[in-house]
Amino acid sequence: MPRFSDVILPGLGVTGLVLTGALAFSTAGRDRAEFEASEAALNAVRAELDAAEARIAELNLATVTAEELEDAMERLAAFEARLAARPEGVDEAEPDPAPVVSVMLAGNAETGETLFRECRACHQVGAGAKNGVGPHLNLLFGRAAASVPDFRYSDSLKRAAANGLEWHADTLSQYIEDPRTFASGTRMSYAGMKDAQDRADLLAYLRTFSDDPSNIPEADPTAQGTDHEVDPEILALKGDPEYGEYLSSECTTCHQASGGDDGIPSIVLWPEESFVMAMHAYKDQVRPNQVMQMIAGRLSNDEIAALAAYFADLEK
Amino acid sequence: MKLNRRSFIGSVAAASALAAPMVQAAGHGKPRVVVVGGGAGGATAARYIAKDSKGEIDVTLIEPTRKYYTCFFSNLYLGGFKNIEDIGHGYGTLASDYGVNVVHDWAVGVDRDAKTVALAGGSSVPYDKLILSPGIDFVDGAVPGWDISAQNAMPHAYKAGSQSELLRAQLMAMPEGGTYVMVAPPNPFRCPPGPYERISMVAHYLKANNPTAKIIIADPKPKFSKQALFEEGWNNHYGGMVERIGPDFGGENVEVDPGAMTVNIDGEVIEADVCNVIPAMKAGRIAELAGVTDGNWAPVNAADLSTKADPDIHVLGDAAQQGDMPKSGFSANSQAKVCANAVRGALTGSRVFPAKFANTCWSLIDTNDGVKVGATYEATPEKIAKVDGFISQTGESAEVRKKTYEESEGWYTGITADMFG
Repeated sequence: MPRFSDVILPGLGVTGLVLTGALAFSTAGRDRAEFEASEAALNAVRAELDAAEARIAELNLATVTAEELEDAMERLAAFEARLAARPEGVDEAEPDPAPVVSVMLAGNAETGETLFRECRACHQVGAGAKNGVGPHLNLLFGRAAASVPDFRYSDSLKRAAANGLEWHADTLSQYIEDPRTFASGTRMSYAGMKDAQDRADLLAYLRTFSDDPSNIPEADPTAQGTDHEVDPEILALKGDPEYGEYLSSECTTCHQASGGDDGIPSIVLWPEESFVMAMHAYKDQVRPNQVMQMIAGRLSNDEIAALAAYFADLEK
Repeated sequence: MKLNRRSFIGSVAAASALAAPMVQAAGHGKPRVVVVGGGAGGATAARYIAKDSKGEIDVTLIEPTRKYYTCFFSNLYLGGFKNIEDIGHGYGTLASDYGVNVVHDWAVGVDRDAKTVALAGGSSVPYDKLILSPGIDFVDGAVPGWDISAQNAMPHAYKAGSQSELLRAQLMAMPEGGTYVMVAPPNPFRCPPGPYERISMVAHYLKANNPTAKIIIADPKPKFSKQALFEEGWNNHYGGMVERIGPDFGGENVEVDPGAMTVNIDGEVIEADVCNVIPAMKAGRIAELAGVTDGNWAPVNAADLSTKADPDIHVLGDAAQQGDMPKSGFSANSQAKVCANAVRGALTGSRVFPAKFANTCWSLIDTNDGVKVGATYEATPEKIAKVDGFISQTGESAEVRKKTYEESEGWYTGITADMFG
């Protein structure tokens, strides 16, 4: 099942669009009274957002056709135009300059335990946790939204769940930051945790009550993701062959140094440029193999260049 | 990319003759690394340190068995997809082509002050850096009624070799319509998908040879790795043959009687024709003897796998308590390379690069029906932390599953070459 953020955020170029309209009201430091004054206008936009969200979430990015994509983009453009003409009061709000999808910071579970006091009135976590005003938070990471048995969820969260929303570090952080913006009809009456580090700490604490990847390898990540940005001058990078030799030890877990190729292709004696291009094709998920996408995905451009330099040296 | 092994050995001799001994080896010539355990962690570490130090470091590998049977792919042997010889590997190449001093003996003690490892044969081996990769042992009394003296009646087959052959023989001798019971282990344990791949392989064998037989799993865990994939596969290939009793139905409350060949699951006594008991696990005994364990496992620093207890002792693989990496051969091999780079740097001043870890576990459900789960990891101050990962999806096409299986075959050839040369 795709993550909510996979469906909603990347690919369509709607990252800014879908949430910007909403986040316009959550700008840090804005006066609360002013915020509430614009509530009526806000609700109108929220309704639009919900509808747009539902439409986008219907798209399955794995099977989406070019026509469907174009159609979605057109509808979104129309929505954007309406947003641009939003009512007064709403208009005054500046779009949040911060990135919409929060950067996942490394969290401190101990600090998070203290922060959890804000949640404890409604949520239980840990041994014997039960549903209260809110659902219990055991095994939260990786679970589908609105899926704890015997808990009555809002229609808003149930709809998001039907659209594939799952709780991971990214979606949880967005939700906790501003629950009403994330799911307009949620019954979680919490103003939101605005500080990204606080959220990371809280989530690090909650993460300890979910499956551990050492026991279930497919369990959710616990670390901050690596940076996957692509440098435009990749091919011009000059690699460090000694670093490449070290990095190559990761390759030889599967690819035989002897050049044998039963089941897994040989990577011996490739021209340097083809090698770099292939690695970036995996990194950008153009080539399909999951293992290679994973391995290449966290190699920096310099590291790919280093590997290429090492393999090129071997040819001499 | 192929090493020219003759010229490599030649150059080792020449380099040793000319180069001054490294200063880090406290006044006794070349620095010495001792590796205990010749599996995915230890064999890889020994090979990489020997290979990359080009003769500047003396490497001794202590491993009791002459032939190492890999736990990975031992389930495929049970299912009849491999012969036992296919999963056996010797240490000759490590000795002849990499100059590793291979000692077939048990390490029975570590003197951390004198920096020596005592061997069962009576001698002792000095080290500057000690790498322990002893795998697992079983927790005493974990399954009431079972101890190591019962492993012939009720094999664990969780250390591959004669135990795997015994379990295969018992499986083949099962009476028509008989019952195979597995007592699955609690977390954490070696190879999280392992018991369930084994169930798949046992079912594959029984479907063809004893189709009215039953498989019962008593499982203390509410969830297990690749659960949706395995359950889908069992349903598709072996409908009705596999029954799993989880903790909600008493699967954690198990007692066995190896004499009577019965298993008591939460008060219900089942007569087993084959009973595969996989008890709770702990670090291989030598880690405890070295005093580097805390509870059942050895806590280590993520950056170089050095133990929290002693910076000159590293623990790799299943025995280590490192954070998020599952206990797997792939993980141990990945940790070994990070450790080898750090140990070589500490002893000879060679460059030390940032730790990068990866793991992928392939499992076979039925002929050409392979699935996989994988992740990358980084070293944080607290632990090895999972960064990103993937898992096979339910409902994948037969072609995808076949490719996944073929990939696992390629990986097996690759990793065993990476371990044993």
